[in-house]
Amino acid sequence: MVQLEYGADESYKLVVASREKPYAQLEAKSVYGALHGLQTFSQLCHFNMKKKVIEILMTPWNITDQPRFSYRGLLIDTSRHYLPLPVMKNVIDSMTYTKLNVLHWHIVDTQSFPLEIPSYPKLWNGAYSPTQRYTFEDAAEIVNYAGRRGIHVLAEIDVPGHALSWGKGYPSLWPSKNCQEPLDVSSDFTFKVIDGILSDFSKIFKFKFIHLGGDEVNTTCWSTTPRISKWLKKHRKTEAEAYEYFVLRAQKIASSHGYEIINWEETFNNFGNKLNPKTVVHNWLGTGVVGRVTAAGLRCIMSNQDKWYLDHIDTPWQMFYANEPFEMIKDEKRQSLVLGGEVCMWGEHIDASDIQPQTIWPRAAAAAERLWTPYTKLAENPDKVTTRLAHFRCLLNERGVAAAPLVGGGRVAPFEPGSCLAQ
Amino acid sequence: MRGIATKISGVAPLFLLFIAGAVSAFEDIEKLRIWPLPAEVSHGGRRMYLSEDFKLVTEGSKYEDPSGILKEGFDRMLAVVRLSHVVSGHRNSSSSGGSALLEGLHVIISSSTDELEYGADESYKLVVPSREKPYAQLEAKSVYGALHGLQTFSQLCHFNMKKKVIEILMTPWNITDQPRFSYRGLLIDTSRHYLPLPVMKNVIDSMTYTKLNVLHWHIVDTQSFPLEIPSYPKLWNGAYSPTQRYTFEDAAEIVNYAGRRGIHVLAEIDVPGHALSWGKGYPSLWPSKNCQEPLDVSSDFTFKVIDGILSDFSKIFKFKFIHLGGDEVNTTCWSTTPRISKWLKKHRKTEAEAYEYFVLRAQKIASSHGYEIINWEETFNNFGNKLNPKTVVHNWLGTGVVGRVTAAGLRCIMSNQDKWYLDHIDTPWQMFYANEPFEMIKDEKRQSLVLGGEVCMWGEHIDASDIQQTIWPRAAAAAERLWTPYTKLAENPDKVTTRLANFRCLLNERGVAAAPLVGGGRVAPFEPGSCLAQ
Repeated sequence: MVQLEYGADESYKLVVASREKPYAQLEAKSVYGALHGLQTFSQLCHFNMKKKVIEILMTPWNITDQPRFSYRGLLIDTSRHYLPLPVMKNVIDSMTYTKLNVLHWHIVDTQSFPLEIPSYPKLWNGAYSPTQRYTFEDAAEIVNYAGRRGIHVLAEIDVPGHALSWGKGYPSLWPSKNCQEPLDVSSDFTFKVIDGILSDFSKIFKFKFIHLGGDEVNTTCWSTTPRISKWLKKHRKTEAEAYEYFVLRAQKIASSHGYEIINWEETFNNFGNKLNPKTVVHNWLGTGVVGRVTAAGLRCIMSNQDKWYLDHIDTPWQMFYANEPFEMIKDEKRQSLVLGGEVCMWGEHIDASDIQPQTIWPRAAAAAERLWTPYTKLAENPDKVTTRLAHFRCLLNERGVAAAPLVGGGRVAPFEPGSCLAQ
Repeated sequence: MRGIATKISGVAPLFLLFIAGAVSAFEDIEKLRIWPLPAEVSHGGRRMYLSEDFKLVTEGSKYEDPSGILKEGFDRMLAVVRLSHVVSGHRNSSSSGGSALLEGLHVIISSSTDELEYGADESYKLVVPSREKPYAQLEAKSVYGALHGLQTFSQLCHFNMKKKVIEILMTPWNITDQPRFSYRGLLIDTSRHYLPLPVMKNVIDSMTYTKLNVLHWHIVDTQSFPLEIPSYPKLWNGAYSPTQRYTFEDAAEIVNYAGRRGIHVLAEIDVPGHALSWGKGYPSLWPSKNCQEPLDVSSDFTFKVIDGILSDFSKIFKFKFIHLGGDEVNTTCWSTTPRISKWLKKHRKTEAEAYEYFVLRAQKIASSHGYEIINWEETFNNFGNKLNPKTVVHNWLGTGVVGRVTAAGLRCIMSNQDKWYLDHIDTPWQMFYANEPFEMIKDEKRQSLVLGGEVCMWGEHIDASDIQQTIWPRAAAAAERLWTPYTKLAENPDKVTTRLANFRCLLNERGVAAAPLVGGGRVAPFEPGSCLAQ
């Protein structure tokens, strides 16, 4: 098994000598730091079109490098559209080129449940079709593939909202046949299923964190379904308190399986002081959240939708580059609670035909620099890095990664004939 | 369900098994699609599953596979079949209710050559047995027919989500297949945007899945000249940048990569128009500094350069055909440049006659290097009776051309822009499917002059980021039109929607970024949903 530890040392030192020494030198604390060094080394190499050999120009090189943030993520969504294994592996390989290190796998949601859960084998009846599924071994394969490349896989089961698909195999999880979200808070079976899922997850998802979702919970079906509204009255809970109860109970189950928990920010916004104190709050709604979360002593990761949502194709790469995880926080102790962030590739209009192509890259690469490079080395004006990013985009193309042109937002076709470097 | 009844006694279990079989058959029908549709197909109602150690056996085959084309094709086939799920099931399960183990594929090829010849036999016969025999059988005249058979075999294989093994359903299968047209092409354009080698290789691999067999490489054009020409090394100064180039060896690599997969590479140098980029390295090829197209007809140097290019080409482009372009020639710069207008007067040529002279002289040079020539249709429209009689006319402007070309006794390939231009992203897949190369021609002799056709992926708005979703699945629709017998094609394209949707999802499972069917070319999926419904 791969021993990939979150927060471990990812630094490296790379020296490419001039004439005197026949070997370049790469030093690192861990193999994963060395992998980052290999990535940088690969970008020093160029094909000489005249001599037809691979060269390194501008030697000697002396590079000392380490990431600014330990959590540098990309979210993919396999519920809105099924993404075949080769597509996920391509995404993982591209992530390594930009030194991103967390693949947040938003596995299931309202529309489909594509993953095999051995404890509850009918859950994947919620898949779009029998073949648009991941076996348990497929999931283990993804974790292994990513792990060997230094990438953690963060599994998410979003509860209690965004879970309609769970009821295809187990209709009793629905409040009723006509009211199918959120999951039934009044039923112990609901929490048995969550426990079964997390128990199965603990066998293959070895990242120390698990994501339990908790966003966009519309509790109407709880109050309008007689059985549940009775339960609310009996336990003297409002709908809001039932939402809190659900999230906290799910958190306890996750803890019992050894996980630390990440939850979307509504959980903090609604009952932040009740959350497990080691909860990492996942900011997505907007600005200002990271300040309040860290002031409360909780850790935070950033995915504010106005800048880091890849499915917002009108967000240009410059905004991805400029999004600063610390926002206005100056206090170092509070800064240390900001683990990093993620760009999110939500899947409503994303499938195997356009995910890698143009919607993730190159904009995710702009965010990747924001998450890796020291603050003082970042460009204040993103336009200053245009040439370097254009060059990197063309490098991605040369490696067979279908990164879109820089000009225009996400996934535009090239505007006109021209050099890759100018588009 | 044939076969199960004889194994079971008692009505109740028979009934249950029947229901189970029927339900699973309905579930399975979604998966049992082959694209393009073979000429003759019959199947049964049983299953076989693939051994983890699925073997290639070639006893009795005359073909010795000297360079490994068959072995590599077999390995690629297995790799692609195992790509989308981890095969973790155990083959010895006796609870599989009628399954049997397929140990391997026995391939028998009657021709010992592995030379890729245009027009050679691409037929194959594929038999997948039921329980009794442990080997499937693939027979072909040539190794390239066998490669097509491997493609079809790969589409019979499915991953069983419960047993987690690779299965073939509805055995026994008996497939006899051969293409309708011998020329089934895809054009790519590396002048408007440079396409890196890995991208071109991905395209080539995808072509094999649909049995397309000609890659028309429109290498250079007005905007850039990306290929190294050893005889005239400054020509590639016309590339967009030093790195957006193909070395001579890169081009040979593409020809080799395609050739080992049964795909011919048709090289095109478009002359005398569409050639502005040639003058970046050799400005004397331009009429003048201010008037840079077409190539200077009055200069012998122009034809020396063409000769040098074709001489270099003949070392790596081994396809019997070469494409010399000849489309969209605006001769204004010839008449407005004094040096050239003098030449026109001296030789008593109008601009139109100079265009004819240029094309014919280029044709002679190509012939001298052993090539047969393809030209765009304007050459035929303007001076068809003067063309080399073995010229293949490439129709692109519109309908009706194939009739006139074949009436004149010339061969023709189709790429009519209203139906088969992939860069027209508002052309839906149904129009690609319905485009009939014979058009209205009934006469068999004239039909035989229609070699086939190409879908064209012009590059103005196409680069590495969006080429695959613009090509697929619409090119697949055309691929069936070019492969499948006319009587097996659907008259109403909508009837094949399910089968094409399934094929598109298969492409996705293989890592090919084929776009949804709904909407024209390269749309994003409209909403969340099953791959099969989009």
